[in-house]
Amino acid sequence: MTTSRKRVAEKKLREIDFCLPEDPAGIDVRSVESYVNSCFPTVRTRVLPPVLHGLRGSRLEKCGLALASARIKDPSKGVQSFEPMYGEIDYERRAILGKAKVGGIVYDGRKVEAICRNLLKRKSSLDRCSVVFTGRLLSTYSQDDLRQHLRTVICGFPSVVSVPGIVEAPAKPKEYYLMRQQLEAAGAGEHEMSRLKSAFKGRFIDYDDPSTNEVLKGLALQAIIFHMTLDPFCDDRTCRLFNAHWQEDLIESQIRSAGFCSKHAKLIKRLGREPVLSW
Amino acid sequence: MPIFDKSSESSVTRAIISQFARDMEGFAETDVIIIGGGPSGLMAAHDLAKKNVKVLVVERNNYLGGGFWIGGFLMNTLTIRAPAQKVLDELDIAYKQYEKGLYVTPGPLACSKLIAAACEAGASILNMAMFDDLVLREKNRVAGAVINWTPVSMLPKQISCVDPVALESKLVIDATGHDASVVKKLEERGLIKTPGFGAMWIEKSEDAVVEHSGFAHPGLIVIGMAVSTTFGLPRMGPTFGSMLLSGRRGAEVAYDYLKKKGR
Repeated sequence: MTTSRKRVAEKKLREIDFCLPEDPAGIDVRSVESYVNSCFPTVRTRVLPPVLHGLRGSRLEKCGLALASARIKDPSKGVQSFEPMYGEIDYERRAILGKAKVGGIVYDGRKVEAICRNLLKRKSSLDRCSVVFTGRLLSTYSQDDLRQHLRTVICGFPSVVSVPGIVEAPAKPKEYYLMRQQLEAAGAGEHEMSRLKSAFKGRFIDYDDPSTNEVLKGLALQAIIFHMTLDPFCDDRTCRLFNAHWQEDLIESQIRSAGFCSKHAKLIKRLGREPVLSW
Repeated sequence: MPIFDKSSESSVTRAIISQFARDMEGFAETDVIIIGGGPSGLMAAHDLAKKNVKVLVVERNNYLGGGFWIGGFLMNTLTIRAPAQKVLDELDIAYKQYEKGLYVTPGPLACSKLIAAACEAGASILNMAMFDDLVLREKNRVAGAVINWTPVSMLPKQISCVDPVALESKLVIDATGHDASVVKKLEERGLIKTPGFGAMWIEKSEDAVVEHSGFAHPGLIVIGMAVSTTFGLPRMGPTFGSMLLSGRRGAEVAYDYLKKKGR
């Protein structure tokens, strides 16, 4: 145990791979790469094709089945095992082949991490950190309130960053939900809903928001810090490593402040000079 | 001088019966049966009939169109989001741009034109008829629908005592809205398990409904709001654009299947 700990402690991070989401339109992964380069100038970075995309043969069949089995069907349950439906497997196959768009489905974040790990198997080692961007919604089960919660990032090996999770995972202001409920009860249509969103402009990030890329930089950094320290989050809501559960906190930590607390500023500087895994 | 040509009551009755009997004989075996004549069902019927597929729409009400007559809050203005306005262009349905990417059209105009387009394309309609059960073949493949008259189905069995009839088809499409009546019948038989509505509040769910429009079981395609119920997608409000595009997607899936099978 002591020997293996020592071995890990001596490991240096040499490479960071960013895997594009299934549909990279509107997402600038190159700008995320440049930002990470500025933090870790001695680490090589690469942008790779999407992981859950373009598979063929048995990999397509296995991945389609695994993704269909990774769906969250009941938000109040942790472990969810079921036989996926014919149509669900068919949809996942089409999505992998690029014949169907991904979105609107929630997947077990840990199962998706495992699927990505299997697909990246030949490329994984501790001196390489893989950050997989996906257009899928991911959740994990919380023991605090015994229900599933959508997540922006699943820190792991690899870490998986959910691009739509930026919009859907952190909660919008409470008043927004109350007003939306009232409008829905009154049978309001799309136009009223879009006017409601306009009224809350600037208080949450919506789809196709240009600031999404800025948030992705912070989430990628959380994934990399997890890989190096296993401790990716900060309690300071002005720090980029803050794990935001509210949209207003996400905007504060990733856009308004977009910097680090003094503790993490020092850590990033140290790891930038010497990117050693410390766990 | 009378306005109308001379005819008798018996001729009128014979005309109704003979024409309907001929139609009904044709319905006994079709390429595709669509259960539900709402916007997605009519759209699928239109697209399939345009490609010379023999298609029958079974509608439980006297009227076709489902919720397409009325928009949100009981107001008969329908909103359609881009790119679904292209369907309105195609069907020659007038609309106005409300704002970038959002269009409005009067419900009565859009609905009546969609019904007319489906009928003119060659889709057959059996209204006031209710889906009762499925015809199943080898490996529980769906191969048709059992139907009965709506008034008969509505009556208690001990009063009606009328057996239904079975219609055979290569494919059945479930366009019954949130009820997903056809899928639910499979569930009753233990052949499928639907998860119900996703309880998580996700804003962008329309695309998921269109993208999941397709086979839910061998021989059975699901479109429209029934897709939400079948796959447990988040429930949606009155988003008619996705209903039209879901119907179109279902028709494409059905046509590809029929083409592969050599019809």
